[in-house]
Amino acid sequence: MNADGTIHAQKIRKSFGPKTVLKNVDLHIASGEICCIIGPSGSGKSTLLRCINGLETIDSGILKVNGEDFGYYETDTAYHALPPKKLAQQRTRVGMVFQSFNLFPNMTARDNVMAGPVLVKHADKKQSAKHAQELLTSVGLEAFGDRYPAELSGGQQQRVAIARSLAMNPEIILFDEPTSALDPEKVGEVLNVMQDLAKKGMTMVVVTHEMGFAREVADTLIFMDDGNVVERGDAREILTNPKEPRTQTFLKQVL
Amino acid sequence: MSGLDSALKPRLKRRSTFEYVSWVVCILVGVGVLSSVATNPNFKWDVVAKYFTHESILRGLMLTIFLTVASMALGTLLGLGLAIMRASTIKPIAALAGVYITIFRGTPVLVQLIFWFNISALYPNLSIGIPFTDIGTAIDTNALMGPITAALIGLTLNEAAYMAEIIRGGFSSVGKGQIEAADSLGMSGAMKMRKVIIPQAMPSIIPATGNQVIGMFKGTSLVSVLGVAELLQSAQLIYARTYETIPLLIVASLWYLVMTMLLSYPQSKLEQKYSHTSARVPRKARKVTLTAPEGIAR
Repeated sequence: MNADGTIHAQKIRKSFGPKTVLKNVDLHIASGEICCIIGPSGSGKSTLLRCINGLETIDSGILKVNGEDFGYYETDTAYHALPPKKLAQQRTRVGMVFQSFNLFPNMTARDNVMAGPVLVKHADKKQSAKHAQELLTSVGLEAFGDRYPAELSGGQQQRVAIARSLAMNPEIILFDEPTSALDPEKVGEVLNVMQDLAKKGMTMVVVTHEMGFAREVADTLIFMDDGNVVERGDAREILTNPKEPRTQTFLKQVL
Repeated sequence: MSGLDSALKPRLKRRSTFEYVSWVVCILVGVGVLSSVATNPNFKWDVVAKYFTHESILRGLMLTIFLTVASMALGTLLGLGLAIMRASTIKPIAALAGVYITIFRGTPVLVQLIFWFNISALYPNLSIGIPFTDIGTAIDTNALMGPITAALIGLTLNEAAYMAEIIRGGFSSVGKGQIEAADSLGMSGAMKMRKVIIPQAMPSIIPATGNQVIGMFKGTSLVSVLGVAELLQSAQLIYARTYETIPLLIVASLWYLVMTMLLSYPQSKLEQKYSHTSARVPRKARKVTLTAPEGIAR
């Protein structure tokens, strides 16, 4: 069975010091699925996302991304951390878009998009530049390739960041509150790019506060609170008809 | 209120009494110092003029420049290595760099210079070879450690400790998000250092390094105690013969002054060059948006 683009997590636990952030979290995402994770701040949703591409390591549980144990290999007695090269290789298949964009300020928009293919995959420079231009066009920034991040608006920076993730041809893209740092009038342009992306069959996991986006674009929705998955299911169903009282309270507050 | 149209009258800045007083004091002191310098025959300006471009002074200046450039270049390279070691997650490597920095920053550079000059008292012979075999050669340390070599080693090792701290400070000025972005693209440690961390650390490293170069240029005068004929020692050698102490110290001082003034020009140019990478768009976190974005229904 081809497991590309799938995420499979079972009984994931993660603590920061005395604080347990993820308590036995299960997560199953199919290839091409668009999954939104919502919940109050501090509920562990960003941490869960960050575990999926190894920015945080889990304390226990099973985490398979693209069908492989992520960051570790299993023996009879334990999970052993993978050597950095192997981990990096797994990471190239999982794109990440950050709340604060994190474009490299010392590179132009085009160089940011080319950074992954050229520096990590050692791809041909000319071809990567051409591909970068196509990606910038697809996010509506064909004329901005030579600009530095500081010369772009927040919405433009985030669209470049999405193009940068796409340049690696990942099977999965993770979005960590991609519109939370944007001015209100710039939110739409980023969500539109993400909506286009959703139509192309890529697996997307989106931590967001944008309930409109969740309703329109997401296949499934997960509501997290206090380190647990409280409710999961069809996105529209949960948003209109939440079953769990905690979900109901949260949705009442944000909608 | 007659005369000019009130709307067109110039608006004058207020000057305090203190400002007028400071002008008067400043001019009086300036005139006093200048007239004293010009009229006191002991300054011997003719001697200053005579020796300013004297052959051995210029040779000393060249050696001073050489020591500055060489020890700064080597010290920066070594300092970069130490800074990378210091940032390592491998404990013994980070600790090794930490101990080095503590020792070399914690002892006077003058003591270090004299120490290296006398290293042969500690290790009379230096040998290169394969341990526990007879293969290899030994060299007399005294022959190897001439005054200039000792000066170069002393200045370099001391500078490396300071540069390591400056570079480490630059590294820590690079945001955590930048490192995460590089990680999520699958960049290796060395690649991250070269393409992401070092370029972004430059704006904070460059100005501090400029100060180090200027400090080093003047600091080379310390190696005169080893008998290295750099700028100060060249001046000393002349006045030991002619007893024109003050004029020759003025010659040396003028050269130090001229060179440090020349050095601050490229420093400001470099700061300008690297300034665009440090310009960052301010980011603000925002709470849940309740306005429907364009194109997406709620």
